Amino acid sequence: MESKMRPEAGVLGVFSDLARGAQAIRALRAAGHSDVRMASPAPFPELVEALGRPRSRLDSATLSGALLGVLAGFALCIGTAIAWPLVTGGKAIVSVPPFVIIAFEVSVLVGACVNLVALAVTAGRGRRRRPVPFDPRFSADRIGIFVVGDGLGDAETILRTNGAEEVRRVA
Amino acid sequence: MSSLASSREIQEKVLATQGRPGAVHALLIVAAAAAAAFGAWCWSLQIRYGLQVSGLNRPVGWAIYITNFVFWVGVAHSGTLISAVLFLLRAKFRTAVYRVAEVMTVFGVMTAGLFPIIHLGRPWFAYWLFPYPNERHLWVNFRSPLMWDVFAVSTYFIVSAIFLTVGIVPDAAALRDATKGWRQRFYGLFAFGWQGTDEEWRHYARAYLYFAAFATPLVFSVHSVVSWDFAVSILPGWHSTIFPPYFVAGAIFSGVALVVTLLVPLRRILHLESLITPWHLDMTSRVVLLTSLVVTYSYILEYVLAFRGPPSVERSTLAYRATGPFAPLFWTMVACNCVIPLLLFLKKVRARPAALLVICVLVNVGMWLERFVIIVTSLSHDRIPFDWAGIYRPTFVEVGITLGSLGWFFLWFLIFVRLLPVVSISEMKEASVHGVEDAA
Repeated sequence: MESKMRPEAGVLGVFSDLARGAQAIRALRAAGHSDVRMASPAPFPELVEALGRPRSRLDSATLSGALLGVLAGFALCIGTAIAWPLVTGGKAIVSVPPFVIIAFEVSVLVGACVNLVALAVTAGRGRRRRPVPFDPRFSADRIGIFVVGDGLGDAETILRTNGAEEVRRVA
Repeated sequence: MSSLASSREIQEKVLATQGRPGAVHALLIVAAAAAAAFGAWCWSLQIRYGLQVSGLNRPVGWAIYITNFVFWVGVAHSGTLISAVLFLLRAKFRTAVYRVAEVMTVFGVMTAGLFPIIHLGRPWFAYWLFPYPNERHLWVNFRSPLMWDVFAVSTYFIVSAIFLTVGIVPDAAALRDATKGWRQRFYGLFAFGWQGTDEEWRHYARAYLYFAAFATPLVFSVHSVVSWDFAVSILPGWHSTIFPPYFVAGAIFSGVALVVTLLVPLRRILHLESLITPWHLDMTSRVVLLTSLVVTYSYILEYVLAFRGPPSVERSTLAYRATGPFAPLFWTMVACNCVIPLLLFLKKVRARPAALLVICVLVNVGMWLERFVIIVTSLSHDRIPFDWAGIYRPTFVEVGITLGSLGWFFLWFLIFVRLLPVVSISEMKEASVHGVEDAA
């Protein structure tokens, strides 16, 4: 399914070997190409490491969601217990130990939901900001390495010498 | 080895499992639908005539419905164990089997969730279980373990469903790009525009780690909460501090056994023998063996704790469990959960899928009986000897609803395996490039 977004002009290399793809990325970065992108059918850590991209920062959103969940869980239990102050089982109206269970469950629930939203937002934004030309092979059995910026002739040579089975210009 | 040569082959094998079912599969779907329909009819009888059509009576007020609830919540645990806990532990064998386990988790919880509602007798009041503002300012009792259950099971279902859906995204994208027509549009719905770019993988890997981190404590908390339904009461046979770890071990035991029960025929029907290999079955069955030993230890400990102290009602209840009218069920449970799984110590047994299937089916029978024995014998033999005469017998309505729940579970499962990938394509591709099985 082709993306509606139009990627910038650049050079696209297609690889069928993971080690060669990672090697090509490293060579491109060593040659001064700062905007190197990639599309692959699986989360190969070698490629992600070679790209040297910073770690995703969705942690802060997820952990904030979990913390919010703890507070919401306690607020729900304590607030409703005070709103209807009925002693049950001889326990205190605000009996914290049983409320910890609810707070924990709500924390996990809200944390997981926020994690999902954060993933959708960050991954979608990343895809729009750093698009790679669509090729159905990149979700099957090929790795696409896309270079954007100046010195595209040099990038073409690097991709070929590192074992790209196909190199083409994207206008 | 870093070539992606086998990646397309993996994708095509999984793609071949999708679409129109074969004769055997179609027959299984019809059988499951018929069982679910029969269960629904039995439930309609109970709604119409009330709980008198069940065998529930004083003193046995909890019986087969709660047994089914605990059983299905239990089997649902293996999905999260295999997908989240083994992911964090970097256990490579999970790759080929975790999707089946996750699917089983979601449908297992969907099945479990029916039973508290069926058990209510008046299911139209099920919404009373949830906290919501109302004109009487009356709120649910958060000090009650039954309310902890509502939150634990609901959270577990939502988190497991999210975990499953997120895992499917890259696979749905691969199938979307390999198909045409309505199937392309269908897979496109689950792919959420996925293109497999480095930006997507970067955030995906981090988010997946967090989902696993959130799901891991749920594995231990949910069944602990379920065990507290029993353990925080003062009924002999239930009131025990060992219940949470005992229930969690039992849940993982029954869940992983059900994963093997599903995997063995599935890999044959869907021709996935080259992806779900004997090595995967061997490693999964070792988890069954380990948890069987933990469960056996718990059984022994339960009796040791009761019999070491002075004579007590607890001792009397446990003696009744092993020697009373429910003794055949108790000893069948011991045979299925403690003795038969010992065969898994033999490598040649673990190497034979048919033997694994038989053992794991028996484990599931044994684990269902375990829940039945705990619930029914404890209630049948409480502190008042006047009550001891009553022997619980399930009626055909209860048996029908139980059969219906099996049909309900398998109906969803059998439909799923034809609509969405039952093996993780992207992780299998990664594993094939890194030669996981060779390295293990």
